[in-house]
Amino acid sequence: MVSYTIAHEAYLKIMFHAAKHPHLPVNGVLLGKLSSSEMVVIEDAIPLLHHWTSLSPMMEISLDLSRTYAESVGMALVGYYQACERLEDTSLAPVGEKVAEKLREQFKDAIAFVIDGRDLGENLRSGKASLIPYLPLQLSSSWRPYSPPPVAFTPPSPFILASQDSPSRTAALLEEKRGEPDAILQKFGDFDDHLEDVSIDWLRNRACMAVVS
Amino acid sequence: MADVASALQKLATYRTQNNRASQETFDRGVIVLKSDVAKTIGEEGWAFLEQLALAAIDVGRTDVADQCLQLLSDKFHGSPRVDCLEGILLEATQTPEAALKYYQDLLNEDSANAAIWKRQISVYRRMGKVEKAVEELSQFLDTFYTDVEGWLELADIYSTCNQYTSALQSLSHVLLLTPQNPFYVLQAAETAYTAGDIPLSIRMFLMAVDMTDADDSVALADSTPTGITVRAWYGVKLCARRLLKDTRLSNSSASQTPAPKNINLIDELATERLRVAYSSPGKKGEIAQGRDELFAWAALI
Repeated sequence: MVSYTIAHEAYLKIMFHAAKHPHLPVNGVLLGKLSSSEMVVIEDAIPLLHHWTSLSPMMEISLDLSRTYAESVGMALVGYYQACERLEDTSLAPVGEKVAEKLREQFKDAIAFVIDGRDLGENLRSGKASLIPYLPLQLSSSWRPYSPPPVAFTPPSPFILASQDSPSRTAALLEEKRGEPDAILQKFGDFDDHLEDVSIDWLRNRACMAVVS
Repeated sequence: MADVASALQKLATYRTQNNRASQETFDRGVIVLKSDVAKTIGEEGWAFLEQLALAAIDVGRTDVADQCLQLLSDKFHGSPRVDCLEGILLEATQTPEAALKYYQDLLNEDSANAAIWKRQISVYRRMGKVEKAVEELSQFLDTFYTDVEGWLELADIYSTCNQYTSALQSLSHVLLLTPQNPFYVLQAAETAYTAGDIPLSIRMFLMAVDMTDADDSVALADSTPTGITVRAWYGVKLCARRLLKDTRLSNSSASQTPAPKNINLIDELATERLRVAYSSPGKKGEIAQGRDELFAWAALI
């Protein structure tokens, strides 16, 4: 089967999105391309919603806008991610499956990830990716979680982190200046945020990424 | 002491704005707790302890929550509000069944304890017992019809189970009870869209625009849409496009809502309003982001 590599910046954005709204469901799309017939590189992530995630209008609009942006930078929408507001809930939920299926219509190797919120802080610090991949079942529109062995994001699983220390660096960045006005999450915004203030750079989150590099 | 004073101030702001910034609340709250000032500042002190207890539970520091609860229960022995807090702590530290039993015992003493009943319902929801949660919540709303929070919760449960028509029905009660809130109108508009009732959806998005377009004295053409109005115009544009593209949708409203006349004019207006919104500076005075993508989207028919 196809392998998936998650670039450091994409990983950061996914986790920042979840960390910014710990009590809410969040979701977003993944951008990337096929680097070979066997490898999808997930280069970036665009955070979409943290509000009314079961309702479709803003999801539809933000997907369209994301697709336009992706094409402008030579990428495709290759996947979807979400986090649930309840830590123990790691299902793709009805909404997630629908979006993933829709993405699969345009990119046949589309992938979905659910953030594993259980002991997330601890896991990030100790280097665990904390992402549960979901794959489509053959001949069906259902998606099932990837089952180990090998454990996702450990070799030789088909899921790879481009930087092994992405999780620990995420934890460190979140810890730095926590609660202060210049904390990294203050610079991060999704489409829901953008709708309240159109100067928020939800497609690129450049101000946030500038701090990281 | 300056630290404590500024922390208290920030925490008071969180309370008035109903912010659930639990980590920030906790970090500041423990400073105040350590200073032992809470007991001496009167009513505000007790509200603070309750707030810190909830934040502590949220970030997994049940030891601090215990401390707060002890102080509160010493002062307000047998208070229903403290009972509720005890219940929440129980939910965080023990099994859902233990929490349910605790709530049931309290309800047996007083079946009209709204706060406890709602906690019980939220435990059912958290356990995944959706049918039970809906059943109890419906009964609750039969008794406490004006509980807007309850109707919103019911709408949310239905939405997450793909039952958008039922969600819409719940939201209609919210709108009856709080007709001045454009936020809920927006939620109804988005729910109607998801349920496939585009004529109803566009009408509600337009209503939201009407409610939020700040000043009546400023002509529409001269104002810049901001905040919630932008979201509403996006919704109008989305609906208008679909109605223009598929004329059958105009006649297939489950709520028998007629589509507005002159959809093409509405579509043009929505496009123009969005272009204005993206050509002006945002809240912080900075330029709008994602303009190219928006212009491309708005131009599509």
